[in-house]
Amino acid sequence: MTIPEFQERYRARLAFVILASAFALLFSVVVALLAMDQHRVLEASQRLQQDTIPQIIRFQRLARNLEHLRQEGERIFSATTPEGRQQSLFLIMLVASHPSILEHPQSASAARDAERFLVETGNQAARDASQIYQRYGEWQNLSKRLSLLVDDLSVQGASLATDDLNDMVEVMQLARTKLIGALLLVGCFLLLLIWLLNRHLIRPLQRIDQALSSLSVEQPAPQFPDARMAEIHAVEEAIQRLHASLTSNDAARRELELLANRDGLTGLINRRHFMHVADAELLHAQRLGRPVTVALGDLDYFKRLNDTYGHAAGDTVLRAFALLLDESLRQSDLVCRYGGEEFAFLFPDSSVKQAKALLERFRQRFAEHDIRLADGLLIRVTLSIGLADASHGTIDNALHDADFALYEAKRLGRNRVIVATETA
Amino acid sequence: MNLLRTLLLLLGMIAGIVQASELKVAIGVQDPAQLAMSGNAIPPNMPGTELIALNDDMAREICRRVHARCTLSYVPFSEVLPGVESGRFDLGFGNILRTPEREKRVAFSAPIWFSSSRLVGTPSKAAAFAGKLGQPVSLDNLRDARVASLEGSLQLTFLNAVASQNNLTVLSRKTASEVIDTLRDDTADFGLLAMLSAYALLNRDTTRQIEFVGTAVADRGLGGSVHIALPRQNEALRQSVNQAIAAIRADGSFQRIARRHFALGLD
Repeated sequence: MTIPEFQERYRARLAFVILASAFALLFSVVVALLAMDQHRVLEASQRLQQDTIPQIIRFQRLARNLEHLRQEGERIFSATTPEGRQQSLFLIMLVASHPSILEHPQSASAARDAERFLVETGNQAARDASQIYQRYGEWQNLSKRLSLLVDDLSVQGASLATDDLNDMVEVMQLARTKLIGALLLVGCFLLLLIWLLNRHLIRPLQRIDQALSSLSVEQPAPQFPDARMAEIHAVEEAIQRLHASLTSNDAARRELELLANRDGLTGLINRRHFMHVADAELLHAQRLGRPVTVALGDLDYFKRLNDTYGHAAGDTVLRAFALLLDESLRQSDLVCRYGGEEFAFLFPDSSVKQAKALLERFRQRFAEHDIRLADGLLIRVTLSIGLADASHGTIDNALHDADFALYEAKRLGRNRVIVATETA
Repeated sequence: MNLLRTLLLLLGMIAGIVQASELKVAIGVQDPAQLAMSGNAIPPNMPGTELIALNDDMAREICRRVHARCTLSYVPFSEVLPGVESGRFDLGFGNILRTPEREKRVAFSAPIWFSSSRLVGTPSKAAAFAGKLGQPVSLDNLRDARVASLEGSLQLTFLNAVASQNNLTVLSRKTASEVIDTLRDDTADFGLLAMLSAYALLNRDTTRQIEFVGTAVADRGLGGSVHIALPRQNEALRQSVNQAIAAIRADGSFQRIARRHFALGLD
């Protein structure tokens, strides 16, 4: 995974404060728009209730009174008695005097004309009732005028309500459109928020979780894409530093372990580590029923060599010996500096015979190996080895047997390999 | 002792409730003969009975709606407003128009119907004055005449206001019937009355001596909405009465009451 080029980063708190503010602003604007529409609807409702409906009632009352006037006018002509005609006339005058008619100029004029005509008709009827029918044609014109006025007023009243209701419907439709738009806007904003959260918070956290779960020195350092959130980036950097620290600590641990288990002069493992590993190898071999052999070797006349050439020459011999061991033994074989010029061996999956052959070859090779001292002098050193089977028993017992065989090799003249069983 | 005090307090409260549930109602009469009557004992053949009966029914219906018992009193119109103002009456009926001056004295209910004013007179007087004026008689062109009206009415107030300008002799009478009488006995040339009041009187008049003259007038304080007068200090009662009026209108009771006494709707 490659790290993208550096991008500007934002603090999560700042980013979410900005997002929350944007959402609050957006929501406020939507609420304000809806509140404006609601206010308009409320105003239209109040106008309808306080102005329009009373106005409609006034128109209805006026239309009803004019129609009443017209009907009473008809009754003047249809009445069969003077009393009936007179009662209609009084009613006509009463209706024509109603404030609803008087305050409407057009109606007042029509009512005045109708009343005047009908009063004259009534007076004429009082003199000669048969003559009034000649006036009926003229009354029909007045009656038609009143009827048209009634129709106009009814339509006018209905139109007032229609206008207000249309206005309310328009506002409600606008409000509905705004509401749908607002919901879409809020929905888009929430989708954007979810996408941003997923991209810049949830997925980085998942990557961090995965990286922490698999964090170890065996694995390579985790790599992260360049995060835009500063906090996420800081955590990712910390994880990378943690991995580097783990790797460094592991290397140091390995180094310390090496120093603790190795002999400083020869580079071979020391006796403590040998005993620890050998014990485990023995148990493993014995559990599987595999052969295992141990040996103890000792450089011949090493004290004399030190006395003759000095301790530095002794050290050179020991290092040369270890180097030759490293070249000659198998990878699986274990050898340590047991103490002074004494060395211990362990041969897994090797019988005594196989180990003896191997050590014999090595003994010969070492005996023929020229060791150059610091002053250029070449010397040769021999090796005595005691060998013992370790397939049964403990490591201590096996080493004890090998030591006994070594003692026997020394006693028989040195520079030889002796197997413990041969001496038992 | 404490028990006695509590009982007295409860009795006082109950007495207060009884007191509060009884309304004294003043109804302006049309004729002096109606003053001596009580309850709804006014004979149906008396002048202006329809208007009295209408006010009776309205008052009883409102009292029923506000859960109160009505005590009706028939008084001259001129005593209705002073009676309500002084607290003698709780409700005042009588084709009462609302004006700013009256609002300082009493409170008004929601409108119950609408009214205008109109001149009344004999046909001969109307013809004579039309000849003298050169045009049909109206309240605007009336000059050099004796005009009668109801005591305490806005019509009388208007006439007094224009009397000197139009050289009018203004006569005041206690009831609308007495105003009509001034026309019959030629004490006055014309009368100026509330339209509904005049209608109620003339519709019953079989002699047909008196008729409406000129056109009706609703401006200059002579017409508009008619209300019930209430004491100014009792806003709760006004609210209750307004609710009752709204209910009476809403369930059609008002229209039924009006139609019972008049051949048309009054609102």
